[in-house]
Amino acid sequence: MPVAASAIYFLNLRGDVLINRLYRDDVGGNMVDAFRMHIMQTKELGTCPVRQIGGCSFFYMRISNVYIVIVVSSNANVACAFKFVVEAVALFKSYFGGAFDEDAIRNNFVLIYELLDEIMDFGYPQNLSPEILKLYITQEGVRSPFSSKPSDKPVPNATLQVTGAVGWRREGLVYKKNEVFLDIVESVNLLMSSKGSVLRCDVTGKILMKCFLSGMPDLKLGLNDKIGLEKESQLKSRPPKSGKTIELDDVTFHQCVNLTRFNSEKTVSFVPPDGEFELMKYRITEGVNLPFRVLPTIKELGRTRMEVNVKVKSVFGAKMFALGVVIKIPVPKQTAKTSFQVTSGRAKYQAAIDCLVWKIRKFPGQTEPTLSAEVELISTMAEKKSWTRPPIQMEFQVPMFTASGLRVRFLKVWEKSGYNTVEWVRYITKAGSYEIRC
Amino acid sequence: MAPPAQSQRSPSPSQPSGKSEVSDLKLQLRQLAGSRAPGVDDSKRELFKKVISYMTIGIDVSSLFGEMVMCSATSDIVLKKMCYLYVGNYAKVNPDLALLTINFLQRDCRDEDPMIRGLALRSLCSLRVANLVEYLVGPLGSGLKDSNSYVRMVAVMGVLKLYHISASTCIDADFPSILKHLMLHDSDTQVVANCLSALQEIWSAEASTSEEASREREALISKPFIYYLLNRIKEFCEWAQCLVLELVTKYVPSDSSEIFDIMNLLEDRLQHANGAVVLATIRVFLQLTLSMTDVHQQVYERIKAPLLTLVSSGSPEQSYAVLSHLHLLVMRAPYVFSSDYKHFYCQYNEPSYVKRLKLEMLTAVANESNTYEIVTELCEYAANVDIPIARESIRAVGKIALQQYDVNAIVDRLLQFLEMEKDYVTAEALVLVKDLLRKYPQWSHDCIAVVGNISSKNVQEPKAKAALIWMLGEYSQDMQDAPYVLGSLVENWDEEHSAEVRLHLLTAMMKCFFNRPPETQSALGAALAAGIADFHQDVHDRALFYYRILRYNVSVAERVVNPPKQAVSVFADTQSSEIKDRIFDEFNSLSVLYQKPSYMFTDKEHRGPLEFADELGNLSIGEAANNVVPTQMVEENDKDLLLTTSEKEETKGSRNNGSAYSVPYDGSSTSVFASQTQIESAVSNPTLAGHSPQASFAIDDLLGLGIPAAPAVLSPPQLKLNTKAALDPSTFQQKWRQLPVALSQEISVSPQGAAALTAPQALLRHMQSHSIHCIASGGQSPNFKFFFFAQKFEESSNYLVECVINTSSAKAQVKIKADDQNTSQDFSTLFESALSKFGTS
Repeated sequence: MPVAASAIYFLNLRGDVLINRLYRDDVGGNMVDAFRMHIMQTKELGTCPVRQIGGCSFFYMRISNVYIVIVVSSNANVACAFKFVVEAVALFKSYFGGAFDEDAIRNNFVLIYELLDEIMDFGYPQNLSPEILKLYITQEGVRSPFSSKPSDKPVPNATLQVTGAVGWRREGLVYKKNEVFLDIVESVNLLMSSKGSVLRCDVTGKILMKCFLSGMPDLKLGLNDKIGLEKESQLKSRPPKSGKTIELDDVTFHQCVNLTRFNSEKTVSFVPPDGEFELMKYRITEGVNLPFRVLPTIKELGRTRMEVNVKVKSVFGAKMFALGVVIKIPVPKQTAKTSFQVTSGRAKYQAAIDCLVWKIRKFPGQTEPTLSAEVELISTMAEKKSWTRPPIQMEFQVPMFTASGLRVRFLKVWEKSGYNTVEWVRYITKAGSYEIRC
Repeated sequence: MAPPAQSQRSPSPSQPSGKSEVSDLKLQLRQLAGSRAPGVDDSKRELFKKVISYMTIGIDVSSLFGEMVMCSATSDIVLKKMCYLYVGNYAKVNPDLALLTINFLQRDCRDEDPMIRGLALRSLCSLRVANLVEYLVGPLGSGLKDSNSYVRMVAVMGVLKLYHISASTCIDADFPSILKHLMLHDSDTQVVANCLSALQEIWSAEASTSEEASREREALISKPFIYYLLNRIKEFCEWAQCLVLELVTKYVPSDSSEIFDIMNLLEDRLQHANGAVVLATIRVFLQLTLSMTDVHQQVYERIKAPLLTLVSSGSPEQSYAVLSHLHLLVMRAPYVFSSDYKHFYCQYNEPSYVKRLKLEMLTAVANESNTYEIVTELCEYAANVDIPIARESIRAVGKIALQQYDVNAIVDRLLQFLEMEKDYVTAEALVLVKDLLRKYPQWSHDCIAVVGNISSKNVQEPKAKAALIWMLGEYSQDMQDAPYVLGSLVENWDEEHSAEVRLHLLTAMMKCFFNRPPETQSALGAALAAGIADFHQDVHDRALFYYRILRYNVSVAERVVNPPKQAVSVFADTQSSEIKDRIFDEFNSLSVLYQKPSYMFTDKEHRGPLEFADELGNLSIGEAANNVVPTQMVEENDKDLLLTTSEKEETKGSRNNGSAYSVPYDGSSTSVFASQTQIESAVSNPTLAGHSPQASFAIDDLLGLGIPAAPAVLSPPQLKLNTKAALDPSTFQQKWRQLPVALSQEISVSPQGAAALTAPQALLRHMQSHSIHCIASGGQSPNFKFFFFAQKFEESSNYLVECVINTSSAKAQVKIKADDQNTSQDFSTLFESALSKFGTS
């Protein structure tokens, strides 16, 4: 039985209880103490998010400056429990307007208790959809939407919504201007060896949508992925168009997507929830266009001097540019003095993370700025321990670029009233874990 | 629609300063209770908030119960919720006051607003006060028939709560059959899902006593019902889908076409955004195809992509949960994943718990085609800043070396590790080189050249030092300065703190002596002298043994200590395949993360009242044993593998004398248990209580060393107990009912014993070593309750004991019943002496 939780606690970093909600009696009331004593106050913290103490299992997650701890006494479904926490946090965030931290919890603890009551009953997760919950849990909600007294904002049939079949969208929405925003957000993960060969590289992407549409619209999304295109050309019995097609390794969809239709016709069709949501996630390992190449040369000159040369090459279109590029070049702990020369951006030595941090705010395509630095080290007696070189890490954002090459071919909106919609599509590629060994 | 974040910061719960605040609140609440002035709800809200925040940080505000209830007459839904929360929290400790709330809750259950009805019903069922259950039945009954699905949904969970408070009330009111009806006919899927959870719990619990319940439980996994759920699965919310999928895994389809139908139906669930749904679906697929080998393979191929996606998305905690499952699958079928090894490369910033799993997977998937890349990658990690991970990766290289045939390149790498001149790298590498040499003696020349260059002064860790010493002894013929290195180690005998190292040093000196007698003789003498004077028992014994065998006959000694070596072909696996299968059966649960089956960690004694179920009896015994085995077994493997066969005999014997638990076994039933004790009693001395002093006397006498014999402190009573006693729980129960109490007394437990008794297992092991076996145990600190039994040696006369130990007063209340009343006094003495020794040994 996938009991997700016997109790759930929110603690701050000092271990003070912010929220505690006991769902079942099969765990004792002093579980927080056990958690504090055996996990928070020991080196165990952070070594493993699932721990057993006594007969109980503790799952914990740190989210900003809060620990969320779930306690169970049975052989619970861990994936379900963690997913529940993540979803719950997303729900709280949508209520608090973005932030989820100790202050937000203290300011809203009554609301959190209310929500915790609704989203889980006796250890079983219930409806967690913010769309629905917001219909009947409002802090202003002096009275509930069902009450017979006239209220200024009538919400038809809300209890059906609470548990109904189209759980993610309510009826009767009206917008003056019907708009759809679609963002393709990709993060590139790279691990490159010091010799410049790619050890591992993949892209995880997600399609985020923001819908402001009236009524119950049906949407259809076409991408330039291989399977979808092949299927289409099969159906229309014409040869596939030339051009780049993308092979998606794996796709997952928001619950609103009709999966049966995806499997038979390979098109993504759905009735979207109102507002913001994540439509799909995908993963690609083949044919990834790396936006940057990093060519480091690090020479250790004797015991007290190092020479660092790093060249970064942008390999996307010359008209495009990357934003917020940060390159972290590790140096030994005993660094005493550094001096730089950069052809673009700014660099400085940050002792706290033992790195030279090179920042370039705007990085045009097809350019290759360089950094050359001299690093002086304090000579220490413990010379035996040679420096292990951590990888160079990189952060960046490249708008209008997808590392996978994925493109939206069409986005059709169909609603029975036949209104016109405005569609906005954006692309952005970010660095996931972009590591280059040196 | 979202409420704007409240601008004013509600008074943050100041740290408990105690009573004055509470009484202050009480006063204010009282003033507001009767007031109908406008705006009174707002001030109530502020007060209620304060109360709840005190409650959260652990200040006892139960004294406000009356006032809170009085204030609860309001139409403000938020106020009501806070009040319900408060009441739910304190009703249990204030059952009398809880009665006060029944009235207003019952009234709210009839409110015209379904929201209020639902809330009130939920709170009513959350009171958890046993003598109030009569008030629950009515509202629950009408709640289940409510026209609003929200109320029904709450009522269904309410039935489950009622069942946990008072099972009989729930059954008598015939709620399960109402739930069953709802489950099959309700239009709302959340109601159906809640019915399913509730009924699963209720019927599983009832199944042991009621045939009807067990029939109903079976009906849940019958074809029509499963199909009914499967056909509606898309209507369920994601959590309920997990629930349904969980149930489907228990269903046994009649033929393969049915299996394919189900899999086709569920195929698209693998694309669900919720990882829990995906994992549950994977479990269904794996279970369904267990008997169809080739389809099972295809399933592995099919689920690979979704699993890898899940691993790479979400928080580290989530990916850890998924990764553990992937790990399990990789271990079961490494060849399926061998081309995906790059997915298991570690990222620099990943938490170590993720890295560790990845390292194990990299090790498992290594084969001829990818070994080079994997080992290269692992060598990168060896220079990692995270030292434990660096160590793990060196070990991983070693493991790959041991499972491959072509080890050329790997040996070079390992030897490079030795030259890296980092303490921990050297240490790990030494241990590995040692293992490697035992499997591939042909590499000895290459290895020894490098090992010879390592100064023993740079090796501090006991395991590594032991490995180095072993190599020095084993290959003393080929290492020029082996006798001198060993000799200098002997000179610093007193500075060596690890007994393991000293033991190895003794053996290595012996081997060295046989290979190069003239150079070693004097050092060997010094080693033996130091060994005999050693305070550590094993070191002392081994030194004496060598000394005596040398005096007896040097060539015999050589045959015993330094026989020609045989290469070890396969190293023992740490986990039995049976256990691995059980973990696999519990896919998508904690078992996979802990890497042990659920019976090893779901601790029954935390579940409240002591139960006499068969299951429990077996469990507590099986559990005690199994908890010990893994670590001890590993240790044992390590030790045994290091020693030559003759030494193995010796250590095994000595260890069996000491502990009743050193023979590894994984039985979970009493029958296996009995066979285990047979082995044990064959090895060890049957008179357990008094054997160790006697044994050491014998040696001392033989040697004539004249160590004054320690007087026997406790002479064991004449009664001898059967070490392999077995009794099944039902017989025990029957006898316990029939027999009169022969003796009832209070025994003191040693304070150390009382302190050690944090969990019952420790005591169970202890008593078992005195041939007193536990059949059931339970309780929580400070009170533990045990039922023991023992059998007379060579007679089937039983002793039954009920023992309640209070750890805070260190006293035990003991009731003894016996088949043979005459010997019950003797048994009692024996029991007392056994119990009083707990914690002192």
